Amino acid sequence: MQAEGIDYIRFTIVSPETIKKMSVAKLIVPDTYNEDGYPIDGGLVDQRLGVIDPGLKCKTCGGRAKTCPGHFGHIELVRPVIHPEFAKTIYLLLQSTCRQCHRVLLSEEQITELRPAIKSYVSEEDEEREAIVPTDQQQMQQQVMDEGSKAVLLKKIRSVKKCPHCSAQQAKIKLERPTYFYADGNRIKPDEIRDWMQKISDEDLEPLGMDKTATRPEWLVLTTLMVPPVNVRPSITLESGERSEDDLTHKLVDIMRINQRLEQDIDAGAPQIIIDDLWELLQYQVTTYFNNETPGVPVARHRSTRPLKTLAQRLKGKEGRLRYNLSGKRVNFSARTVISSDASLTINQVGIPRRIAENLTVPFYVTLWNMEHAKALLMRNEYPMVINVISREGIRKRVADTNREELIKALAQGFVLERQLVDGDIALFNRQPTLHRLSIMAHTVKVLPGRTMRLHVSVAFPYNADFDGDEMNLHVPQSIEAQAEARYLMQPKDMILSPRDGRTVMFTEEDEIAGAYFLTKDDAYFTKDEACLMLSSIGINELPKAAKNGAYSGKSIFSMLLPKGMDFDEDVKGNHMVIKNGELKEGIIDAKLIGLGGTLIQHIFSHYGSDAAMYFILNSAKLSLRVLLMEGVTISIRDYYNTEFVNNERVRIIDEVTQKAALLLEKYRNKQLEALPGYTRKETFETETLVALEEARALASKTLEKVLDRSNMAYLMVLVHARGSVLNLVQTSMFLGQQAVRGKRPSRGYAGRTLPYFKRNDRSPLARGFIRSSFFDGLSPVEFYMHAMGARDSGMTKSLVTAVSGYLQRRLINALQDLYVDENLSVKDASGALIQTIYGGDGIDPMQEQVAKEKRK
Amino acid sequence: MLTVCLLPYAYELIPEHELVSASEAVKISKKFGVPIEKFPKILESDPQVAKLAAKPGQLIAIHREDPTGKYIYYRYVVRS
Repeated sequence: MQAEGIDYIRFTIVSPETIKKMSVAKLIVPDTYNEDGYPIDGGLVDQRLGVIDPGLKCKTCGGRAKTCPGHFGHIELVRPVIHPEFAKTIYLLLQSTCRQCHRVLLSEEQITELRPAIKSYVSEEDEEREAIVPTDQQQMQQQVMDEGSKAVLLKKIRSVKKCPHCSAQQAKIKLERPTYFYADGNRIKPDEIRDWMQKISDEDLEPLGMDKTATRPEWLVLTTLMVPPVNVRPSITLESGERSEDDLTHKLVDIMRINQRLEQDIDAGAPQIIIDDLWELLQYQVTTYFNNETPGVPVARHRSTRPLKTLAQRLKGKEGRLRYNLSGKRVNFSARTVISSDASLTINQVGIPRRIAENLTVPFYVTLWNMEHAKALLMRNEYPMVINVISREGIRKRVADTNREELIKALAQGFVLERQLVDGDIALFNRQPTLHRLSIMAHTVKVLPGRTMRLHVSVAFPYNADFDGDEMNLHVPQSIEAQAEARYLMQPKDMILSPRDGRTVMFTEEDEIAGAYFLTKDDAYFTKDEACLMLSSIGINELPKAAKNGAYSGKSIFSMLLPKGMDFDEDVKGNHMVIKNGELKEGIIDAKLIGLGGTLIQHIFSHYGSDAAMYFILNSAKLSLRVLLMEGVTISIRDYYNTEFVNNERVRIIDEVTQKAALLLEKYRNKQLEALPGYTRKETFETETLVALEEARALASKTLEKVLDRSNMAYLMVLVHARGSVLNLVQTSMFLGQQAVRGKRPSRGYAGRTLPYFKRNDRSPLARGFIRSSFFDGLSPVEFYMHAMGARDSGMTKSLVTAVSGYLQRRLINALQDLYVDENLSVKDASGALIQTIYGGDGIDPMQEQVAKEKRK
Repeated sequence: MLTVCLLPYAYELIPEHELVSASEAVKISKKFGVPIEKFPKILESDPQVAKLAAKPGQLIAIHREDPTGKYIYYRYVVRS
């Protein structure tokens, strides 16, 4: 059945009459199955409510398990009970009506005056706003529209002490969460509330902001409870043959049991206290049936102490019906496995295990022109074969050896073949968390042996992937449009520049950078053999011009990778790069050029296009690795031996900062230390000491930089930005320096000291986390402890920050997801509202920034 | 109102605000293809708006200058 279209949906409150009309069975037995395992009539799995066991027939519609949609039943509650989710509405109604005559606490005049305001608030017709001249009454009307009728009316009504209709004195109504009401301190029971609600006239509902055609206030107090069909709460049969009922069924049994006992006690004329107790219990059961997380109500639990999942819990939150089942759906044509690296792929490719390729399919549309191809494909009975044939009528048939001949015969124009994934197909590759548009990119399939999906290391960075067990997802776009869109908009090679700031996000790293240094340093010359070996490894079969002595300079070899006729001239931190007519004339290639944010890659991308940039990255990486294979970078313990000078410096630096700290401490103790504006003297002392002690590392770095040179491989890697930093070297061979906890020196742990080893209030560097040993020497127990404190603090901070920023990210994405840049470079949202007059204040796409800058010149 | 009085009307970080005439506003609205009420909003009680004595329904042009460049931003005055 197809709906013609929906004009509107109206949500109203269901009346007891409607419940009874909908109901196919009044349920009276608080149980499910009898001893024979047969559903009890009038029980919670009454066969009139529908059937879920195969073989049984529904007593209402006669349908079987598959065809019967299920039918609602009902329970008659012996005593009325407040609907817990409407307690607040009832509260408002009690407050705004007279306890005696049950009229609204507004005079007739007030009602007539307010009517248009209320009406326009309800139906949101606020076009006539301008026309209103603010008289006193109309100002209130205006207020009603602006702030919402309920709030203003309530404010007005609360001040009413006497009913304007019957002059009765009004009581102060109190709501005690979740469902208890008091008038001047006396409890009003649900049946009294129901009577009160019943007596509110239809005419008075309008000023109260309720729709009289839809809802009567007494329906907010339950007398009949709707019981959902068994299909909504199916029971599970365990292996042992035992039945396990759904949480909702359990809850309904509880409600009915109390209901039944209440009825018996009332009939037996039990004392009022006992009846009230049971009544309250019934209220509790109903409250938890709707929402087992109602504030102020103890959680209803299963026998196993597990909290019951009742109605609200089914819908709410990440695992609820809305976010889990409706917003989030499972997808077909997708795969997930562990990833690993493969240097022989391009950044545009993804290696797919054969097993996965055999399982995923792509539609092949049979036309007049590819009929032969289609037939040949359908003929195959091993790997790249057809899995399903879809006829013009849309009937899908699985291909098997038995029906292949028949299907080939029937094959005609307009048929669709679902063939297995092959090399060259396009697939979307994704790694979670998907924070980025670079977290989903379209790769070309390359079917490979093995069980992992493979990608080039240079695309690992935008995905933020590594190969220590990371898994990634793959999706195969099915329609031609989707495939084309993926190809044109989502390929990694087109994403080399970051959409955030235009930096290169696919680049060469680590060993590749070190290799590039050995290749392009000024005195790098290679024999013809070596040059041939290097160039042939990247598929170049010609040699550059040799130098005078017959050798080939590394720069000339590297130039083979550069686009013909390229000019580039840039000064990156004292490294003057000159490329003229596609020849590297001057300068050494390092991470500033071909690493993260590398300007050379950027230049090639913006001037020679994505393919040139992609092959430049791939080839320079491969070439560099080949060089490194011949040259080799080795670090050993020897690289961390200190010269006598360094050892002396180390002692001197530590002495210097310790003395500075001691001086500060003395000044502080003698109260000579001047407090910084806005800080206490103690804080001033701490910050100044921290600054003094942290300087030690800077001084040590300078010393090492003075002493070390390119013959030290560890330092060489630092210099070319391949890996490591001077700080790493300092901490390995000189000292670790000051540890910090929450940006301050460690201070807590024991009263007035970090460890019992120290005296109380010892503020010396050693007692507050200054480490004078190096990793080479090893740390003393005290130092080790200080280091662990710093490490734990930074670890905790890091994990907390990711959680917070992840949520921030989610909120931002939800808020910004339908913004777009219009033709005139203005930013608008889906409703057509203007957000920015010009995108980003300058209308520049960061990816194109380089080009834009050069054009401006 | 005391707080409002204490706010500086002119400060280096407050860009220049300018009242846009009705005819100009129509032109701007047409230029962006967005009805004037769908422009970003600003409260009538905003000190800069109060200074210009702009009424709800009028448009304010803000001459912004930031690291990305110089550009004009518009805001539609709404009742506070």
